[in-house]
Amino acid sequence: MASEKRDERWDWDSPRCRAQLDEIFFRQHDYIQTGSQDHRDFWAFFERFQRFKARKELSGSKDNKNEDPNSSKSRKSGSLDLGLPKEYDARYRINISVNTKDVEDKMQGCGHRQRQTSSGPGKQEITDCRLALLHFLDFCQRQGFNKLAKLRQEQRSLPIFVYRDRIVELVKANPVVVVAGDTGCGKSTQVPQYLLASGFNYIACTQPRRIACISLAKRVSFESLNQYGSKVGYQIRFETTRTLATKLLFLTEGLLLRQIQKDSLLDQYQVLIVDEVHERHLHCDFLLGVLRALISSRSDLRLVLMSATINIKLFSEYFRGAPVLQVPGRLFPIQVIYQPIPPEEQVSRLEKLDPRPYLRVLQGIDQRYLPEERGDVLLFLSGVAEISTVLEACQAYATHTQRWIVLALHSTLSLAQQDKVFDISPTGVRKCIISTNIAETSVTIDGVRFVVDSGKVKEMSFDPKAKMQRLQEFWISRASSEQRKGRAGRTGPGVCYRLYAESDYDAFAPYPVPEIHRVALDSLVLQMKSMDLGDPCSFSFIDPPSASSIQTALTYLRDQGALDASGELTTIGRLLASLPVDVVIGKMLVLGSLFNLVEPVLTVAAALTVQSPFLRSAQHNPDCATARQPLHSNQGDPFTLLNTFNAWVQVKGERGGGSRKWCRRRGLEEQRLYEMVNLRRQFKELLKSHGLLEEQGTGVVTPEERKRRRERLTERHQLHQIKREHDLQEGSRRKVLRLEEGTEDTSGSDDETSGKKGKDKKADGQSVDIQEVKFKLRHNVDQLQEVASASQDLPSRQQALLKLVLCRGLYPQLSLPDEHNATRKDSEQIFHTRNKQGVVIHPTSVFASDPEVLHVPDQEGSQPGADKGQSSRHQLLAFVTLLETNKPYVSNCVRVPALQALLLVANCLDSNGNCTRLVADGWLELCLSDGERTLGVISSALELRAEWERLLQAQLSKHRPSGRDLERLSDRLVRFLLYTEVNYSVRRLTGLQAQNLYVGPQRDPDPSDALALRSVFRGVEPKPDPIKGGLRVSSYFTYNCLSDPTDLYSECLRTFWTCPFCALYMPFTPLERMQHQAACKPPEEIAAQEAEAECESEKAVKPSSSSLTRLYHCDICNKDLTLTSTEILKHKRQHTVAS
Amino acid sequence: METRVEGGAIFTCETCSLSTPFTYFGQKPPNTRAIVLLEESYVLKDPFSPDREKFIVLGSSCTVCSKVVCVGTECSLFYTRRFCLPCVRENLDQFPQQIQVELAKKKAPLHT
Ligand SMILES: [Zn+2]
Ligand SMILES: [Zn+2]
Repeated sequence: MASEKRDERWDWDSPRCRAQLDEIFFRQHDYIQTGSQDHRDFWAFFERFQRFKARKELSGSKDNKNEDPNSSKSRKSGSLDLGLPKEYDARYRINISVNTKDVEDKMQGCGHRQRQTSSGPGKQEITDCRLALLHFLDFCQRQGFNKLAKLRQEQRSLPIFVYRDRIVELVKANPVVVVAGDTGCGKSTQVPQYLLASGFNYIACTQPRRIACISLAKRVSFESLNQYGSKVGYQIRFETTRTLATKLLFLTEGLLLRQIQKDSLLDQYQVLIVDEVHERHLHCDFLLGVLRALISSRSDLRLVLMSATINIKLFSEYFRGAPVLQVPGRLFPIQVIYQPIPPEEQVSRLEKLDPRPYLRVLQGIDQRYLPEERGDVLLFLSGVAEISTVLEACQAYATHTQRWIVLALHSTLSLAQQDKVFDISPTGVRKCIISTNIAETSVTIDGVRFVVDSGKVKEMSFDPKAKMQRLQEFWISRASSEQRKGRAGRTGPGVCYRLYAESDYDAFAPYPVPEIHRVALDSLVLQMKSMDLGDPCSFSFIDPPSASSIQTALTYLRDQGALDASGELTTIGRLLASLPVDVVIGKMLVLGSLFNLVEPVLTVAAALTVQSPFLRSAQHNPDCATARQPLHSNQGDPFTLLNTFNAWVQVKGERGGGSRKWCRRRGLEEQRLYEMVNLRRQFKELLKSHGLLEEQGTGVVTPEERKRRRERLTERHQLHQIKREHDLQEGSRRKVLRLEEGTEDTSGSDDETSGKKGKDKKADGQSVDIQEVKFKLRHNVDQLQEVASASQDLPSRQQALLKLVLCRGLYPQLSLPDEHNATRKDSEQIFHTRNKQGVVIHPTSVFASDPEVLHVPDQEGSQPGADKGQSSRHQLLAFVTLLETNKPYVSNCVRVPALQALLLVANCLDSNGNCTRLVADGWLELCLSDGERTLGVISSALELRAEWERLLQAQLSKHRPSGRDLERLSDRLVRFLLYTEVNYSVRRLTGLQAQNLYVGPQRDPDPSDALALRSVFRGVEPKPDPIKGGLRVSSYFTYNCLSDPTDLYSECLRTFWTCPFCALYMPFTPLERMQHQAACKPPEEIAAQEAEAECESEKAVKPSSSSLTRLYHCDICNKDLTLTSTEILKHKRQHTVAS
Repeated sequence: METRVEGGAIFTCETCSLSTPFTYFGQKPPNTRAIVLLEESYVLKDPFSPDREKFIVLGSSCTVCSKVVCVGTECSLFYTRRFCLPCVRENLDQFPQQIQVELAKKKAPLHT
């Protein structure tokens, strides 16, 4: 038979045969195209379909025979004849047809002619294929529709759904509406959609957390059937998906505040939704205050506050009795069991936590519940140390019982480790997640049935006196306690074990302390200043912070130079307020932009803004420590970060995705480096947009460059394709955890290659490193590499300058090594800040492992016979954070030469009469052996600062200073930093000494002092200081105001000395020596060494020995005078000042 | 009748009240070349696919009572043409055995 013959040749599995059918059904413009995912799916479906058909034919033929539909049964009388076909065919169930007649005809024509040689598809094959295609299309339709129907069903089953119309009505009728609903009611995803569907456009919805912005935008765009459009977007500090088409935008509270700074009426929005107001974050409280004022000037604006059902009245009343809509949550019943910790297992502050009470809960669960009954445990502890203690004990128990997988969850874990908590445990095994309060609101884990609540939380508080953050353990509030409990009832009835007594619970505070009462308000106050909100103390916050805490912030901002003495924003302050970064980071960026240090400063600023890429867990891994070693810089942690980033960029340039492994070897969280590179770019754009950085001019494009651009374009195209495919596959199913998960040491080892089994390998090889793809899409790796290699091995001069920039940025965050550190153990090195004595270096800092570089070198530099502690090598440590946990720790430190740094950055420098004693900022005392040289050094410092300030102001007012001036300044600064050789000792003043520092205003200050100073410090007008006494030489330097205990002994300090000019040999004090030398010098040298010569003039008030006077004729006033050479100078100066 | 629909038009099933926007009404969804629908349908560009031409048929009118129904198996079935389930039950004897068995498995809807 002909058909048999054809069957021999026709092979459904042959790619050639399939290709022939592809030409009929899956052409380039067809619904399904050859090569697409759908096309692959079709052929897979086809095979299943053929098998199904074959089975059906075997078993079903009998039934079909018997069945003679309808014929035997009589139709109900009176009913309408539908005229349905007599014989059932599944084909009739499909509402789609595929019309390929045109192609078939063509193929048939060909086929006819070439019948003998070709094995083209016959009618039967085409029919078979078409039928399969129809069923496939039908199958796809069902899948799509079901997905849509399921989505709609889920939306309708949310508790908030029935309030849909009510919410829209309320928002239309009221400027402010409060929607209060508990976890699971659906307010965050649904309310924006309801408003969007009811015709509101341009809706902004704020979130306290960046991650929530991204996930909500994703979810809501899916739910509103716009996942491939940009109707719903998000905007966070690092990135945005917002386009002109965006109608609903999720953004952080901080970002909305920044938008208000630029667009004070927020005209771009019709509706503002502020979500999670009950969490009372600093930005949110402030935002509410700003919006409260805003709604009065924009009557068309609609404001929706969304909150948990906590303290709703507070918000409603703050907005003049705004209507409240309360939505019940969707929680299953939860049984609460109070299981207070017995006294013998309770711990004092310094002891390790006793894990036994927690273990008992796990044991109890094992006894009471069958292993087959699913349900995971979520255990809340206060901090990382507590977690590791309990984790260890629980893991031992898990190994023993083989019924548990124990995982930790806190923010210092790597993202991959954090992600594990979402994976599923195998049957018969429970997950036990031991978490900080991160799982209370930020992270939601499904499948939790048991909650174990320690009742404790570690919370940041701010100590304004020590100007220090403090991380302390507290009892949680009743609201937090309920929130934790609620985590047990999300997917079914649950149990909550509270490891405290019910009476404890009753004694808890009702709500957590709002952030505004716990943190430093520097950034807030700066922002308020820049928004012209008047006196921060009188701003009507929902719950105003204490006046003292605002005062501390004002003082601090003044110290940092962001505010002037009258509390107004300085030029730099205004700029800092517009940068979305901490004030210290902003200062670094601005200062760095002045010198040729932009690239390293951008990197350091970015690195100090994101979490450290160095994983804590890898610190004790010797392999990681060794691999990290070359990255370390004993200049300070910012330099280590800089090295790390630069090395990473090189690896990215050379090996692309190989950087993942490189990072793992070194215990680095690569995600942080990606954040750094993104943030760095954003900083660069910020500087450009503020005119602080020149746009790179695009000069003539060489053919080579053009070629490179073309190549890059092609590459980008491919990368976009990869990203798209990745995005399509995203949301794949969760992995199943292995029983040994968590018990092995996963930190830093190559677990990815060693742990994976064979079957995972293929999938792993295929998986793209999407971060790498995004990285390549965002950044020009060549350019980055260039920049990185340029700042990789900074010459020591550049390094010194960079340190100065960092130090000035970080000022006044300075600390002084204790003078006895050299004799102490490495672990017992202590430091003093202005407000806090005895701080220690955080173990993550490079100085914790290498403290010797901070010690004053023995002998070296100090002259024989010099006082103990005298050296020219004293150093200070500038630091980014001071945080007290169990001890006060400084972290992210950089070391700087003490005298030079203080002279160049301190806000307040005071000296005694002969400049042998300097006090910086009222707390650091420097005793210098050579007052003469000191004065010279001070004089240079003053000049350098004036020039630095001049160029900075020019830069800030967008008149970029000339390259030559900048070059000269940086050159002089470097020389000052590296080659100032003055011996001194440095110590922290005691409280009593700091109080009795100044001589106080003198009734009758000697006018000649001022004259003398005027000649030493060119262009200044010294004035008596009305508070300290002495003379104010500049805004930060006051001369001779220190009450000087050494004055009493100055007579005894004379030593024999020979003048190099006149060979006079007699006892001199240092000042007399300076005086004599200046007078004795030949005139040409006087001009050359003005500064030194003028040093003596401060003592000119004292009657000078007549041997030093000489006759002098002044050409200007035409008089003969008998004067010392200093007096001559003074006299001459008088004329120049007058003219 | 054939319409390409601009944003805002809503399809609502009269049986289950499933409600969602639709982008096209008719038998020939845009950009689908060989594909023809056998009934005038409410069609939505497939929101779950990035491809522009992919579509989902949401529903159509029952050829007996003209009610607009979705294609969900709880609301209607297609057997050479669209029937809402009440109309199928009404005329069950005219449908083949397979469909009768299928319907029997489904519990009768609670009447509204
Ligand atoms: Zn329906
Ligand atoms: Zn009907």
